[in-house]
Amino acid sequence: MLRTLVFGVAALALLPSFASAHGPTRQKVTEKVEINAPADKVWAVIGNFQDMSWHPAVAKLEGNGGNDANATRTLTLTSGGTIDEKLLQNDSTKMLYKYEISKVDPKVLPVNNYSSTLSVKDDGGKSVVEWKGAFYRGYMNNDPPPELNDEAAIKAVSGVYRAGLDALKTKLEAGG
Amino acid sequence: MQRCFHTGIAGILAAAFWCAAVVPGLCGPAVVTEALVTNQTGDSLSVVSLHDMKAVAEIAIGGKPAGIAISPDGSRAYLSAPEGKDVVVVDVAARKILRRIKVGEAPLGIAAHPSNGRIYVADWYTHKISVVDPAAGEVVAEIPVGDSPSGLAVTPDGKLLLSADRDSDAVSIIDTLRNERIGTVKVGARPFGITIDATGARAYTANVASDDITIIDIAAGKAIGTVKVGHRPYAIALAGGRAYVTNQYASTVSVIDTGSLETVAILDVGDHPEGIAADPAGANIYVACWFDNVLMRIDTSRLAVDGEAAVGDGPRAFGLFLR
Repeated sequence: MLRTLVFGVAALALLPSFASAHGPTRQKVTEKVEINAPADKVWAVIGNFQDMSWHPAVAKLEGNGGNDANATRTLTLTSGGTIDEKLLQNDSTKMLYKYEISKVDPKVLPVNNYSSTLSVKDDGGKSVVEWKGAFYRGYMNNDPPPELNDEAAIKAVSGVYRAGLDALKTKLEAGG
Repeated sequence: MQRCFHTGIAGILAAAFWCAAVVPGLCGPAVVTEALVTNQTGDSLSVVSLHDMKAVAEIAIGGKPAGIAISPDGSRAYLSAPEGKDVVVVDVAARKILRRIKVGEAPLGIAAHPSNGRIYVADWYTHKISVVDPAAGEVVAEIPVGDSPSGLAVTPDGKLLLSADRDSDAVSIIDTLRNERIGTVKVGARPFGITIDATGARAYTANVASDDITIIDIAAGKAIGTVKVGHRPYAIALAGGRAYVTNQYASTVSVIDTGSLETVAILDVGDHPEGIAADPAGANIYVACWFDNVLMRIDTSRLAVDGEAAVGDGPRAFGLFLR
């Protein structure tokens, strides 16, 4: 009995601890869209951390703390999964906000340690919206399965950004 | 920084005299001319000329290089390539790779000993530090430490190696003669970068998850202070009695007086600032900004960013990257 227990503990000790480790290489994605509308109008649509109604993949948003640092929101996606996010900084003068994902199932979005910045810049009366993300892949150890590797993470994040930015352009340029 | 910090020309001369004449081998070079920046996403090493802040070469590396150490004479760069599972030895002047040495499962933090010719490589997955003889291309010893060792630093006298064991929330203190852990110090949550001061008295860790830095009295083997910094601190440089801390998510550098432990300034830099190092005179601090692909220069007398150089994709420069 004791022997089994000691062996069990020793075996556990030999297992690498992946509790909070992540893959070795952080990935980045930047997506942009040019919109034929003034920057302040675009910011009025996307600058509120508690409103993601402009993104077609988001079915519902429940949040706390408004637009102050450490405000939170839970996004329920049209596909059914949820993503918990925390606001790091919302600077309406610079027209940008920074946030991170505090909790997500890799099946919903295959990433770890994700942080992001959403911003609008004036470009001669038009606007350029930029969405940037930094993250590690969904699988935390070496040799990830294909659905949780670096490419899968990049593809998923790019897809979310692209869908949001393209819908935003359509909405604003339609005069909505 | 394991380098002397004095200011101005007199300081440089004094540092040169002190290092060369009084305690040879104890300090790095008195003047640095290049930054060697590992570009992890771009799989390369950028060489930046410091006097005009221009990239003068980009060397293809492979294996997603992250960590860097430079030999005491400045001629060799040792890069950790976690995805290649090797250490890449670069002849810096020739801009050429000399060899690749297989080390562990995910080599990350790396440091060069000031005199015994060895380099130390932390392994993110196997929780060991490999002692490598880069001339022979061999791992000569392995030292078990805490979980996911990250940053490494050697005391200026070469007697001790310190390892920031990220997932143990602790620092291991290792005797470099015996290659054995002789102590551990509890620090903040998830320490990543670690830097030792020029006298070898104190070490500073950047604690990613608790958004603070821990100050360690090395001889006493004890934490003697904690200072709050910005979100997700990564690494620390020391110059002129101040600690400069890169805050990845905040895109800032916190400047802390190491005597009073007060925050002197918070400087805006590029997105995701990571590797940071001070020149030997303490006049300038260099910061690799991972998202923006630039190396920025901070003038320490004005506490302002006064130069930047474009580098490759995803610069990390995790380690002492000036020569």
